[in-house]
Amino acid sequence: MEVKEKSKIDPKFKYEVARVAGGENIRYCFQCGKCEATCPIRRFEDSYKPAQIIRATLLGLKDMVLDSDVIWLCATCYSCTERCPQGVRLTDVMRAIRNLAIQKGHVHPFFKQQAGVITRAGRIFEDEEFINQMRGELGLPPLTPVNRDDLAKILRHTNVKKLLKNEKEK
Amino acid sequence: MVEVSEEPRVGVYVCHCGLNIAGTVDCKTVSEYAKTLPNVVIARDHKYICSDSGQEQIKKDIKELNLNRVIVASCSPRMHEPTFRNVLEETGLNPYLFEMVNIREQCSWVHLDQHEKATQKAKELVRMAVARAQLLEPLEIKEVDALKSVLVIGGGVSGIQAALDLAEQGFKVFLVEKEPTVGGHMAQLDKTFPTMDCSICILAPKMVDAAKHPNITLLTNSEVQDVSGIVGTFHVKVLKKPRFVDEKKCVGCGVCATKCPVKRPNAFDMGLGTRKAIYVPFPQSVPLVYNIEKEHCLYFTKGVCRACEKFCEAKAVNFDQKEETIELDVGAIIVAVGFDSYDPSTLKEYGYGVYKNVITNLELERLLNASGPTEGKLKRLSDGKEPNRIAFIQCVGSRDERTGHPYCSSICCMAAIKQAVLMKEKHPEYEIYIFYNDIRAVGKGFEEFYRRARESWVNFVKGIPSEIVEDPETRNLTIRAADMGLGKIIELEVDIAVLSISLVPPKSLEDLTRILPIPRGPDGFLLEAHPKLRPVDTPTMGAFLAGACQGPKDIPASVAQAKAAASSAAALLSKGKIRVESSVAFVNEDNCSGCRICEPLCKYDAIEVKESSKGKPTALISEVACTGCGVCASACPTKAITLRHFTDQQLLAQVKAALFKEEGACVDRGISHGS
Repeated sequence: MEVKEKSKIDPKFKYEVARVAGGENIRYCFQCGKCEATCPIRRFEDSYKPAQIIRATLLGLKDMVLDSDVIWLCATCYSCTERCPQGVRLTDVMRAIRNLAIQKGHVHPFFKQQAGVITRAGRIFEDEEFINQMRGELGLPPLTPVNRDDLAKILRHTNVKKLLKNEKEK
Repeated sequence: MVEVSEEPRVGVYVCHCGLNIAGTVDCKTVSEYAKTLPNVVIARDHKYICSDSGQEQIKKDIKELNLNRVIVASCSPRMHEPTFRNVLEETGLNPYLFEMVNIREQCSWVHLDQHEKATQKAKELVRMAVARAQLLEPLEIKEVDALKSVLVIGGGVSGIQAALDLAEQGFKVFLVEKEPTVGGHMAQLDKTFPTMDCSICILAPKMVDAAKHPNITLLTNSEVQDVSGIVGTFHVKVLKKPRFVDEKKCVGCGVCATKCPVKRPNAFDMGLGTRKAIYVPFPQSVPLVYNIEKEHCLYFTKGVCRACEKFCEAKAVNFDQKEETIELDVGAIIVAVGFDSYDPSTLKEYGYGVYKNVITNLELERLLNASGPTEGKLKRLSDGKEPNRIAFIQCVGSRDERTGHPYCSSICCMAAIKQAVLMKEKHPEYEIYIFYNDIRAVGKGFEEFYRRARESWVNFVKGIPSEIVEDPETRNLTIRAADMGLGKIIELEVDIAVLSISLVPPKSLEDLTRILPIPRGPDGFLLEAHPKLRPVDTPTMGAFLAGACQGPKDIPASVAQAKAAASSAAALLSKGKIRVESSVAFVNEDNCSGCRICEPLCKYDAIEVKESSKGKPTALISEVACTGCGVCASACPTKAITLRHFTDQQLLAQVKAALFKEEGACVDRGISHGS
């Protein structure tokens, strides 16, 4: 992440994040770095620095945060949330930040791809037959079919299609 | 002097101090060696000789073996000399027949991995002590009278609290304050952290109580000029400067100030607002008596006006008032002279004094205060506009080797957080940044308060700014800093920059420590007698410390220390008699040539050269004022001065024992300090 010029600081950005469900506790972060030390993604990916994302958000480096590829790396394992001494709920904060990014039209291509799969298949994978075969081998019952009507409703209400259309080409 | 005629019978006790000594020194060998030394009747080693069982062992030996000298080889005499002197006294021996050998700090701890040589050194130290112990003499135990009155210097919250606590216990207290009102720095504050109590609201009642208390004499506009005498009976001269208004007549109505034509910067508001040449520092001043600033009063400077006098119905204005010297006799003195604020204009990188919108935290305090120059509405000093971007810079002056203030000023983290929270409460739209190096939130409720600030969206930036640059047109300030959390350089534009300036030793200490000899630490603040066990005492018996003059501290710590100082002073004076050190200097009049070398060397004013009974000038030493430092005895060219308990004979015997194991044989010394 790069900080280029002072005009890029938008002090209101932190409030935007806090208004999204899950983002409200970002203010309590005191930069101890425990989240980062805990994070399993951080072990494999040097560019993923969750404490730094929070710091940049609190300072107001909006474009830097929302344009960043690293905010999409969180695997939502909740380890950081479990261990944070200040109750920041970083996993939820990261989700709030990603929601803002989507609203601004910044979606990581992989997420867009996955959203397409969910829209089409109602699941995060399409090859239901293959999965059911594996489940059968393990003695598990087949998957319950997805209620496509309900899914369509959810997708409509959450504006997923519209948000995905907003995506700017990078 | 008490006479001892018997042969010395010496007991030697070698302490293991757990492994502190025994880990390096073979204590058994040392005690066995001691048994071979002249007149040693018994020698033992003990795991902890300071313990109850250790003390009982010594007592038992004194009684059963008829000991008349006791030597303990253990830690520093500063630690346990009083303990063992008491043991001797309890068994009926004179406490000055005790000798202590430091084989911990001066042996085991400095030769940790040189076991054999350290053991050898311990043996030699013990041999030296045994040689000296033969010549120890019992000294007369001295007591002096203790007056039940106390001088408190400084009328801030510490001085007020100490005065009130002593007055409540029945002591007469003289509370001396150099300003026209008591209150000190606390009176200037808007709110106090972390509870957000209104500062003056909790302080003013105490100020009034102090002024009204029948046992307290309040001396404002006054400074201590001289202290003589010693603990129990200090004689103090206080200079009371004229205020040109009669304290008994003035009712504090303030008509005089409305009529006064002279406007002056208001020092109480850090010079930000104005007041008249006749003024009270603030509305809750105690005493609420007006005060004329002579240097700027038209009558004093030009011989005209007298408007205040004309309009004063109480006829309180008195241009003829003179300064007066008040003499007091007190048993003890509490020093509570507080702190000064660091002048940040020397740190050129922040532009204080050049950029109008760079202010100090004390100035901000007045700008936020409802009774301050802006009635609590924050305005920029450059254009009077309301700011909405404010940055605090922490550790300005503090933790800085360049300024000579390498210490942490301890209050600034919480003070900045408090001011930030205050502003955020009234103006959530403000953007507030605190540039810090560490947030030190160690007091009760402090960490929670820090969290509350983050909850209010105060932005904490880890990183001390390198500089502030002003835009000459907008007067906005750009702060350049490394955001250490982000790992990036940021440049932030703000409307006001607040410098959290350090607390520094007050200038007045220079004069005060000349009048009352209290040493200062390397940080310049007054030095307590022991950092842990005698935190409010000073090496000058009868003088105690309270508040920030001993080191930066917040209000709760200042009040706690004031209460401790009051209680220590009361404990000292309450018996009516005070035991003083008997190891003092005395003059052999026959040998004294009256050369006066010793007189100015004495830091405690204990020596005076006067005509003696034999009609020649002779040095006379006040045995009660003498602290036994020995400077005079070593300076005296005719050896007329002897320091009791450290006589030449005693010291030379010790030196001789160090150099010669037996008569004529020089000891091979193969030990080095450190390891």
